[in-house]
Amino acid sequence: MKAFTLGILAALILLAAPGSHALAAEASEAPGAKPLAVGTAFPDVPLIGPVSPELADSLGIPQNGPTPMAKVKAEVLIVEIFSMYCPFCQRDAPTVNELAALIDKRGLADRVKIIGIGAGNSDTEVDIFRKKFKVPFALFSDATFAVHSAVGQVGTPYYYVLKKTPQGFTIVAAHLGLIHSPADFLADVVAKAGL
Amino acid sequence: MRRIAPLLTLAALLWIAPALAAAPIPGGLAGNIYPVPTLPPTDSQLAVAVGSPMPDFDLPTVAGPRVKLSDYIGKKNLVISFVPAAWTPVCSGQWPGYNIARDIFEDNDAALIGITVDNIPTLYAWTRQMGDLWFPVASDFWPHGGLAQKLGILRSDGVSERALFLVDKKGVIRFIDVHDINARPDLGPLLEAMAKVHAEK
Repeated sequence: MKAFTLGILAALILLAAPGSHALAAEASEAPGAKPLAVGTAFPDVPLIGPVSPELADSLGIPQNGPTPMAKVKAEVLIVEIFSMYCPFCQRDAPTVNELAALIDKRGLADRVKIIGIGAGNSDTEVDIFRKKFKVPFALFSDATFAVHSAVGQVGTPYYYVLKKTPQGFTIVAAHLGLIHSPADFLADVVAKAGL
Repeated sequence: MRRIAPLLTLAALLWIAPALAAAPIPGGLAGNIYPVPTLPPTDSQLAVAVGSPMPDFDLPTVAGPRVKLSDYIGKKNLVISFVPAAWTPVCSGQWPGYNIARDIFEDNDAALIGITVDNIPTLYAWTRQMGDLWFPVASDFWPHGGLAQKLGILRSDGVSERALFLVDKKGVIRFIDVHDINARPDLGPLLEAMAKVHAEK
């Protein structure tokens, strides 16, 4: 009887173990993804596609690219690799907008910038995403997946947090999937970038 | 020993619990995609052209009501998006994008139908994983690939090509993109064609 009770207890513990239920993945997976390692240099990928005069001014780049990413004026740059076709990116869009607003509110807008790169998305497709979700930061296209390939063919959404160094941008943090708390995400960015 | 055995069992179960909990359990759309190797870009002979009348169709949909060409003639421009197969990589990432472009279709007085040659139960399970799609998803399963064959986009292995057709309100095909099956078509050219047809008086 005692053994039976213990067996039941063990079964209950197993059932209650965190993560034992099937959890839906919170990112569109990319077969063969090899994210770039934290601590390594971020490739100087081209930023393609038109941006508004205000955003171009804020990033210190011309309105029409391609512009090497190293030209972006930012102490810390959060790069979101997304796709308009990725349901997780669509679901995450309002949260990323909140993150942008929080960066503003904390008075970090001159130091921390966000950009998005649409993996496999044309200018038109990026524009659909921009308008649908009223994205306040600059989005760039990557119709040929060339940038996506250069940054590790990651699943989407994927966030690289980069810090500017004299040699270019270096990866200080990375995150796959939805951002659940803009405040926690920003706190992590601030800590890892040493702001 | 008889007293210790249950405790040892419990200890063993507790020890393996985290390992079991951490075992990857694929979930959702992303976790259930069947890997497909690179295929020949196309494998059929198109049987229609821009300017041809759209062949008639009458197909069941996941939501229940059938979709017929006659539902749209004189009322809406119509975009038909054929994707090769449910639960495959590129297809699973195509219609979720169309889901956020609804305004553009509506601005151009265009309806959209998604079609595959899979049967309804398969399409039901697959599209539920995409969330709520605003457009009907129809099955060209039986007679197998009937519409795909009329259009000349049924491949020799029984799936369809990845293809887009724009049909105007008179039932005339105005745009065709039989795309490389391995890649998602850029929405740009289709949207341009929709805007051009919509601008005609």
